[in-house]
Amino acid sequence: MDHTDNIIECRNLTHYYGNRKIYENLSFNVPQGRILGLLGKNGAGKTTTINILSGYLKPHSGECLMFGQNINTMSNEMRRRIGLLIEGHVQYQFMTIQQIEKFYSAFYPEQWRRDAYYELMNMLKVAPGQKISRMSCGQRSQVALGLILAQNPELLILDDFSLGLDPGYRRLFVEYLRDYAKSENKTVFLTSHIVQDMERLIDDCIVMDYGYIMTQQSVKSLTDTFKKFTCTVPEGYSAPNKIEGLYHPFVIRNTFEAFSFLNQDKVEEILKATGVPYSNITSEKLTLEDAFIGLTGMY
Amino acid sequence: MIYYKEWIKTRWYLLLMFLATNGFAGYSILRLFRASELKGIAHIWEMALTRDSVFIEIPLQYIPIIACAGLALVQFIPEMHNKCLKLTLHLPYSPVKLLYSMIKFGLLACVAVEIVNIAVLLLGIIPLFAHEIYWRIILTSLPWFLAGIASYLLTSWVVLEPTWPRRIFNIVLSSLILRVYYLSSYPESYNSFLIYLSIFTLLLGSLSWLSVQRFKEGKQ
Repeated sequence: MDHTDNIIECRNLTHYYGNRKIYENLSFNVPQGRILGLLGKNGAGKTTTINILSGYLKPHSGECLMFGQNINTMSNEMRRRIGLLIEGHVQYQFMTIQQIEKFYSAFYPEQWRRDAYYELMNMLKVAPGQKISRMSCGQRSQVALGLILAQNPELLILDDFSLGLDPGYRRLFVEYLRDYAKSENKTVFLTSHIVQDMERLIDDCIVMDYGYIMTQQSVKSLTDTFKKFTCTVPEGYSAPNKIEGLYHPFVIRNTFEAFSFLNQDKVEEILKATGVPYSNITSEKLTLEDAFIGLTGMY
Repeated sequence: MIYYKEWIKTRWYLLLMFLATNGFAGYSILRLFRASELKGIAHIWEMALTRDSVFIEIPLQYIPIIACAGLALVQFIPEMHNKCLKLTLHLPYSPVKLLYSMIKFGLLACVAVEIVNIAVLLLGIIPLFAHEIYWRIILTSLPWFLAGIASYLLTSWVVLEPTWPRRIFNIVLSSLILRVYYLSSYPESYNSFLIYLSIFTLLLGSLSWLSVQRFKEGKQ
């Protein structure tokens, strides 16, 4: 992909909270028209990355460009092109759904799509005078989404969009957002702690572990190439903690499990070379959630 | 349009602030009328001329700082709740202009309420005193009203600060700054200093931007 097709470009981001290193030399791009999900365990630095991208955290070093401009000097025009969803679907709770639409519309006069907002509000069946503070978390998420859709930005940055939502609202959010992003060719960068939701929504993913990016690729290529290998080992055998080319090998009773991007022949070569007494090896295609756990481990 | 948001946040508090501060101003005048009826207007004049009494310091002295600090709380706590300020600062408008539009709204509201308070006081004391005495009362009360403006700006600074240790430091420093407005209880002792005190008070507005800068840098 051409360099200019990247809506977001982050280069060598390093950040610390006090002495605690969050990550070092983190680099990634978000191409135009793609929905990219940032996956990572709690504390891996997802919200830190979102905060840096939205201009609310100054990284220790490194730089981020959005639409080719450095985010440290984010212009009004650039902010107009970015829709931001804060963790927990935060919005002005003291406003009603009518007031908040009136307020935001004044800041985006040429791009505001009032109908997109009210279409979503009508689905909620709430009165226009309903205060946001008196709405459920699910309803608030729809208000926040409706405002972003009405803003009609080129780039959407969503921090943990599924936080606090029941399955129905999560599904509604995901389907509405995907349909909007694909039909309007929008770029979306998002995080969520519920990986199943991501699988329905995202095109590409970045999997983060503590301090670094493990992989960035399309969900399809990840789930096609990253597999779980299961084989039988003698009772009482304990697996080595680390085997080159395999992720998180472990043994439960007489079953050995490990994950790998390699094909079965290569995995068998590695097992033989490591001296694992295996038999009956099988490989299994993974869901995104399984692949995420395979890459990052359960602990 | 930012004023629209500020109005929605503060309208009920502004009504309460208007009624309460004018209620206290009216109460001070009523006390003065009552005293003049009980002890005679000559006695009140004597108190004003020989004992330097301005009559209204209780309860009016600390009302502006409480009322204006309350306005800053009502205005900025919702912005800091769940870091809602991020939404405001993400609007396609200069962050400095956004902040100072919010501050301007609050300042104008404080000044408007205080002007009405002073007008209520004047309406009450003009019939009782010669102009030298009623201006003395008003000039003596001006530092208290300036303290109200200062407390609005300082409370904004405190509330917008993103970290608690620094917020506590700001509270302590703000208390010391507010003490400047109450150094002398002698009538008109601030007269020659009022213009400088007014400029100093307005300069306190710059502190809020420091808090917002720290918020934007992600201090936590």
